[in-house]
Amino acid sequence: MSAGFGPLLAAVTLLQSNGATMLPEWLADVLRLDGLGVAGTAIAALIGAFVIANVLLINAALAGPWAKRKIAAAFWGKLGPNRMGPGGTLIIVADALRMLSKELIVPEGADRPAWDIAPIIVAGSAMLGFAVIPFGKIGGVQVQLADPEIGLVLVFAIASVTSVGLVMGGYASKNKYSMLGSLRAVAQNIAYEIPLIVSAGSVVIFAGTLQLSGIVDAQTETLVSVGGFGIPAWYAFVNPFAFILFLTANLAEVGRNPFDIPEAPTEIVAGYQTEYSSVYFVLIYLGEFLHIFLGGALAAVVFLGGGAGPVLPGPVWLIVKMWAFFLFTQWARQTFPRVRIDQLIEIGWKGLLVLAFANLILTAVLVGFLEGDVEFAFASLQVITA
Amino acid sequence: MSDWIAIGALGIVAVGIPVAMMAISALLRPSVPERHKRATYESGEVPTGGTEIRFNIQYYMVALLFLVFDVETVFILPWLAVYREAIGEVGLARALFPMLAFLSILVMGLVWAWRNGAVEWIRSSRATVRARREDQL
Repeated sequence: MSAGFGPLLAAVTLLQSNGATMLPEWLADVLRLDGLGVAGTAIAALIGAFVIANVLLINAALAGPWAKRKIAAAFWGKLGPNRMGPGGTLIIVADALRMLSKELIVPEGADRPAWDIAPIIVAGSAMLGFAVIPFGKIGGVQVQLADPEIGLVLVFAIASVTSVGLVMGGYASKNKYSMLGSLRAVAQNIAYEIPLIVSAGSVVIFAGTLQLSGIVDAQTETLVSVGGFGIPAWYAFVNPFAFILFLTANLAEVGRNPFDIPEAPTEIVAGYQTEYSSVYFVLIYLGEFLHIFLGGALAAVVFLGGGAGPVLPGPVWLIVKMWAFFLFTQWARQTFPRVRIDQLIEIGWKGLLVLAFANLILTAVLVGFLEGDVEFAFASLQVITA
Repeated sequence: MSDWIAIGALGIVAVGIPVAMMAISALLRPSVPERHKRATYESGEVPTGGTEIRFNIQYYMVALLFLVFDVETVFILPWLAVYREAIGEVGLARALFPMLAFLSILVMGLVWAWRNGAVEWIRSSRATVRARREDQL
């Protein structure tokens, strides 16, 4: 490809994101990489990706060893980590060093390459999902790596690659409990993926696009004004039923109570992660937390206006919303008892799936009422209900 | 195009960071492999057998069902994206009814699978006997 193509590509992307510069383009501009053509674009993209990945690592490091324990301790009426550093925060450093320097115990008869690759897939796929998440604007820069038109589909596709990693790890561990855990994980992920996609899809009807920045932009209008205080047209307010379905399916998708049977410690030791120790365990754990944050980011982008919020810049708000979802998962974890595998299948296939499709059809018909011929919509609704 | 370069870049970073962590850990950690330590964990008992176990056929049934519905979402999503525009262009009837027909075929499929017990958890004969006994008590 010729060097003259680079600026043209940049211009096309600029047009896509409604005037705001995308993070890689902005980096290329600031670091004067424009002259390098495609290589410049690639270098800027790598730097941008590294920045995003490190923001995620910092969040996961805060959440995993520290915030999770503090939250759990608050629920149990205990203190939680409080010895190392202010508020026990230095436990993050201590835990990182401790886990990285532990011996890696390879189970006898492990299927070696697969057993080693599985943690990379679990952690990597959760991180890759953030490639298309719009973190919002800060000083005219849209903090988002890529904004393809199929953003929503892509993020679901990437997030579900995790299942492959779980099965690989479970099978390669040569432990029957790992195997059972990974089978449960897949059964759960596939049962709740359809309601997840379909309930998010009912929102796409309003936005009219699968592009994530487009979905965020469509939520900037004011829904109603209450005493001079405008409530934004976030899809959680426009279609709260879809939001509840999405949150429930998301909880199952990230494997938290009441849907934590893939690692149910009282039944199958720790599921697919039983045989993992040292840095491999860290990676699976990291993947789980990144997955929770990805679920939270997706809920924020699709239902809660993305980076929208007063005073603070967009990325801060999106991270606040991600943490709100994280808090929700921890709350659910301390509150709900675990469902059984047969109940899980029933809730997924007989409950959520049917509700998600009912929601989709109702939304489509209601939008038909508002958009199209009202009398005709009445007639078609009678046909459907008859 | 630059979108996909950026996604590829995060893909490289997303694999690179775990690999780097593994490399750092490999430098720090001891390695003292020993037979009993390497035995798979079965709550401290001597492990019996590996991953070649009999597991419930249900996992296969729901995976089959999933395939159908997953492919179907691929057809639904583009329709969702153009639905509102389509109402304006070709009217509600032509925008909505083909999809309703498609969905009703799927729902019929789900009902069929449901009635044939594809989404019903199958118990082993032993578990059924045990459940009956518990019911009688």
